[in-house]
Amino acid sequence: MIDTLMLIDDENLFHLVFEDACSLLDIALSIEALNSSDEADKLFSDWFPDDPNGEKPECVFVDLNIIGSSFDGIEMIRKINHDYGNGVVIGIISSSEDEMEIQKAKDVGAQFWIIKSDDIEPRLEAFKEDYEGYKSGSAPFKVYK
Amino acid sequence: MNVAKGIRDFFLRTARDKRVYAEGSFLKVLEAEKDDKEFQEYLDLCKEKDSDARKKRLAITKQIQEQNRELERVNKENESVNKQLSKALQEAHKQSENALQSKQEAEIAKREAEKLRDEAITDLEAFQKKTQTELMGSIVKVALMVILGVGLITTALYVFVLLQGHDSKIIESTWSNLFGILLTNSFSIIGTIMGVKHATKNDN
Repeated sequence: MIDTLMLIDDENLFHLVFEDACSLLDIALSIEALNSSDEADKLFSDWFPDDPNGEKPECVFVDLNIIGSSFDGIEMIRKINHDYGNGVVIGIISSSEDEMEIQKAKDVGAQFWIIKSDDIEPRLEAFKEDYEGYKSGSAPFKVYK
Repeated sequence: MNVAKGIRDFFLRTARDKRVYAEGSFLKVLEAEKDDKEFQEYLDLCKEKDSDARKKRLAITKQIQEQNRELERVNKENESVNKQLSKALQEAHKQSENALQSKQEAEIAKREAEKLRDEAITDLEAFQKKTQTELMGSIVKVALMVILGVGLITTALYVFVLLQGHDSKIIESTWSNLFGILLTNSFSIIGTIMGVKHATKNDN
């Protein structure tokens, strides 16, 4: 089970769906849901280069288009991977299936792409099975449709 | 994570007396001692209750999400219909303005045509008057020439008879009658012309 998971998504209602689904599937012990990438950017900059209290999450789910934020999910992943020292399992959770965007996410170091829909539980369950591979860096990039 | 006996008892007592159960992620870290069946049953019950509550909330949240999406879709449709209506209204307004402008242009054209018609009528009347005046002038000239010609011929004949010493009685009365007739006719012609002129003036 993931100890700490961070969700960055502008839709509050989805926070509830995600938290309940993760709790029911025993995916994560604690979930921190943020509304904007700016908020997440500030936290990650605080945790870099040192995170003495171990507050940095183990895994991060980022929405592709975060309304009200200065930058989108792909840029957020790029920043975490390149500017803030990486060290987290990170990927996109979005309703978009745009191949170009998926490729961009892969290029900046996203490890997975989960299609957001009403029936999210099977995808999260599949992600849970692959999680150890992502953590060790051995699992290839995957799109959960 | 195993808990101290005091905490364990507190959990069990709270559940029994107040019907308040532990919930949330906290349940995922709590563990009962191997031989503590009571606390294990308590934890199982808490997890079941928590899971039921979450399932219920998840279903409701998904339903709300679906409703929100539907509302968003309807809202987009409404916006689209509103845009179409607004466009149609603008088009109708534009056509109304065009019709008004066309009407104004038609009125201007009508006034122009009426003005031209009036001018044409005036010109025609002026031309008719001119023609009438010229005709009258010609009649007067011819009449005067005839009168003067006849008068001169008769007078010359009368003078010739008087100078030659011929009998002048017949020519005398003839000259007198003719002169009278010519004079009367002259005035008659002048009177007729004046009358016609006066009548034409009254018509206008």
